[in-house]
Amino acid sequence: MAPSSLLLFRVWLLLGLQSFGGGTATLFLIRQAVVEKHRWVPEPEFTRDWAICQIAPGINLLGLTILIGFRLARIRGIVVSLVGLLLPSVVITVVMTALYAEVKELDLVQAALRGIVPATVGLGLLLAIRMARPLLQESRLISHRSLLLSAMLLLASAASVTFTNLPVVAVLWAAGTISAVANWWWRRLPSPESPPA
Amino acid sequence: MIDPFVYLWLLLKASLLSTGGSGNVPILYQDLIPRGWATERQFVEALAIGQISPGPSGLWVISFGYLTDGLRGTLLAVIAITLPPLLVLGLHALYRRVGKHPAVEGFVRGLSLAVIGIFLVVLARLLRSSGLDGRTLLLASLGLLLGLAPRVPVIAVLGLAGVLGVLLF
Repeated sequence: MAPSSLLLFRVWLLLGLQSFGGGTATLFLIRQAVVEKHRWVPEPEFTRDWAICQIAPGINLLGLTILIGFRLARIRGIVVSLVGLLLPSVVITVVMTALYAEVKELDLVQAALRGIVPATVGLGLLLAIRMARPLLQESRLISHRSLLLSAMLLLASAASVTFTNLPVVAVLWAAGTISAVANWWWRRLPSPESPPA
Repeated sequence: MIDPFVYLWLLLKASLLSTGGSGNVPILYQDLIPRGWATERQFVEALAIGQISPGPSGLWVISFGYLTDGLRGTLLAVIAITLPPLLVLGLHALYRRVGKHPAVEGFVRGLSLAVIGIFLVVLARLLRSSGLDGRTLLLASLGLLLGLAPRVPVIAVLGLAGVLGVLLF
């Protein structure tokens, strides 16, 4: 039985309103609502949906919202869920940005920003480390060669945009293709280094 | 002058070719800075607001659209972040068959690693643009360390950094 549009909208609207504190908080809340409270999606399906969203283009949480909406009520589900989740968060984001734009020229705000910019860089660095770690671990489980290649791909992409004028998109595709070919090749032959599958 | 059609295309492209909320940063950075359609400062401001505001942190693009191109930019940004994730439906259907294929697995891993590598370069440039000195490095390390603490919300980290900025600069 597909839930009514009104119920669906209310659930996603609440999620959009409550999810202060970045994506992790939002994911937590979505899981609580659709798996535990309303039992719309069984736990294993939810986990697999989330895994697929990791490789989908764009914001992962919107991908998840789309998949869950589609499961529940096809196209209607997608539209209602997306609008519900985005409406409050987009409006609040715009209002916050507009307020900020009003005050950004003040000396006080400028000084505060000189503190916030480097702190944001620090947080970004942490994000990069947290994103890289599972990928490198996955490589290490395949073989030492795979780990070495992954580390080199990371460094080589950084070097290529620093020292050449290659378009970012070309670098991304090149890294993906090299890794695809290598992974395919190594995994179809039993490697002496790799642990038994 | 910002051409809205080109701008929409650039926003869409960055979102289509990346995964996750901030994977689009390096692509947008390379496309928009040389055109003069955005400044490094606007990137940082929008990323910070995206962290503080509700919803996925990928909504930083909404704030970025507003800062660079007003309400029109906001509208373009909404379109650009809503359409690409729809491809997840096709991926979901495809995944049952090829998801475990080593080439697919390898491609996704290589792509993600490159995104991270390029993201690091962007971070380094942002740090340099804010005047590289002891205070800046101290604040960056503080952001990193406080970010590691599990129970400190991002908004508190940025708030503290703002106060320290007022005191130090």
